[in-house]
Amino acid sequence: MSDAVVLTLRSRLDGPLDVRGVTPDRCAGLAQSEIAALPVWAGATRAALGDVFDVRGERALRLEFEGDLRAVHGLGAGTAAGEVSVRGDAGRETGAHMTGGVVHVHGSTGDDAGQAMAGGVLRVDGHAGSRLAGAAPGASKGVTGGEIVVFGAAGDGVAALMRRGLVAVAGGVGSFAGRGMIAGTLLVLGPVGDQPGLGSKRGSIIAAAGLTVPPTYRLACTYEPPHVRLLLTSLRRRFAFPADAGLLAGPYDRYCGDAGEVGKGEILVWTGHARSSRA
Amino acid sequence: MSAGLKAPPYVRYCRRVEIRGVFIEDTFAEAFGMRAARVVITARTIKWARAAATKLTGFATSVIACKCEAAIERELTPDETPDARPGVSALLFTMDSESLGKRLTERIGQTVLTCPTASCFDGLPDAPDRLPAARALRTFGDRFQISKVVNGERYWRVPVMEGECLLQESFGMQKKGVGGGNFLILAEDVTSALAAAEAAVEAIDGTPGVILPFPGGVVRSGSKVGSRGYKGMIASTNDAYCPTLRPLTASALPDGVNSVLEIVLDGLSPDAIRSAMRAGIDAACRTGVRAISAGNYGGKLGPHHFHLREIMGAAS
Repeated sequence: MSDAVVLTLRSRLDGPLDVRGVTPDRCAGLAQSEIAALPVWAGATRAALGDVFDVRGERALRLEFEGDLRAVHGLGAGTAAGEVSVRGDAGRETGAHMTGGVVHVHGSTGDDAGQAMAGGVLRVDGHAGSRLAGAAPGASKGVTGGEIVVFGAAGDGVAALMRRGLVAVAGGVGSFAGRGMIAGTLLVLGPVGDQPGLGSKRGSIIAAAGLTVPPTYRLACTYEPPHVRLLLTSLRRRFAFPADAGLLAGPYDRYCGDAGEVGKGEILVWTGHARSSRA
Repeated sequence: MSAGLKAPPYVRYCRRVEIRGVFIEDTFAEAFGMRAARVVITARTIKWARAAATKLTGFATSVIACKCEAAIERELTPDETPDARPGVSALLFTMDSESLGKRLTERIGQTVLTCPTASCFDGLPDAPDRLPAARALRTFGDRFQISKVVNGERYWRVPVMEGECLLQESFGMQKKGVGGGNFLILAEDVTSALAAAEAAVEAIDGTPGVILPFPGGVVRSGSKVGSRGYKGMIASTNDAYCPTLRPLTASALPDGVNSVLEIVLDGLSPDAIRSAMRAGIDAACRTGVRAISAGNYGGKLGPHHFHLREIMGAAS
């Protein structure tokens, strides 16, 4: 038994490689040779993990991926327990369909990271692409649980059709954030693109740097939401998430919408800067 | 045992053990297993957290009539609370799990939900046994309530006129809590008894996992099981320790003792009780106090026996 199974990419890939299913909970009971024999997909061609990666270690609940992994897709996808550490940038669908455990990307990820996630923690130290925490193609709902914490920015369509869980982005996000949210929370410290919360039924979008509120949302009040304080405190303590202390207390403008749907969704916009400037 | 001190029947004769001239009787406090929960209340200021906690723990001196025993454990700094606001932790004890859940629901609903800016969190997050005590309170929101999960724990946002009340849904239950730890301060007069009791309470105050559920932490009306004169009474005055009844009953009071006060302790563990009793007894051993004793039922009812001399490091 090793402390970790270390998978080092042998050489730069010419095409995409899909490693979904190579998870720590699966490797925890496998010998080194068995791990090396796990199937991966180079385009449409089936290959063995050991054909592409040097495999060191066995029977561990921790996987470490090393090398230029930008063309490696599905890193940590399907993880149910244990920890995946990605040293560098990752490809698409990182941490997709997770149900537990932790996937930590020390660089940035491609599109569709955390897709249809149901549990666990996906941490991205860099940026995330589009459709972060989105739904699988054709699915009626996206993320149903877990936490996704991105320290950089993210692209369009973040948290679309989210049913439950948390997405926290320290940078900005693109257009259509929280589109069709059913529940859950999207926290964005940076700027938010156009049309946030469009078609949202429930769910919360918390914007620290302001946004253009869609006309289908109506202002309810300006107040100090206690759950935002709790959420930010938890993120600051557990992840050293760079949320300024001033965001904890608020105040926040609360907008209710989308009026074209159930209307029980909310957009909370921090207005503490206005209070500061008034002072 | 020295001359002039009349020993209760269960007291063994042994070498004299004194702390600063105060006799430590060779007896034990008999305590019971209880279910316990720790409630953390936060608010915008400590004033409001304290206000909610004071009400939450009100009228909770004894399970005999109050259905639970509760008190403030200590105040918390923002670094110690889940939402980085000042807070107060309180402990609540009952005799069974079902009752603990009911009492939490009743008391949180009437005291935290109603208190301006107050939020309520579980203070035993590692306890495997959980009580969904605040789940029922969500319905006060009349379907406008919102559920949020933070770090795997569910919270309810209940809309109220002030803004929103945030309640954690489930609370950890300590199944191995201890209720009824105690010691008796046998003093020459009420002034000495009160001074010693206050010193004991001050020494115990802040001990982690321990509360003193009675007024000011002190009991003047210690009880015995049942009644001599009234059938159906669960408890009645502990006549053996009532100085006014010395000639009329089998008094346990040494000569010169004219006032007795009791410190009753509930704790999350036997070790917590021991630690608090040690600090309290040591502080109570002062001028005007003749002896320290403890209440028990001959060891037949409660599984926890806290022997005074063992606790004070002087086993006979």
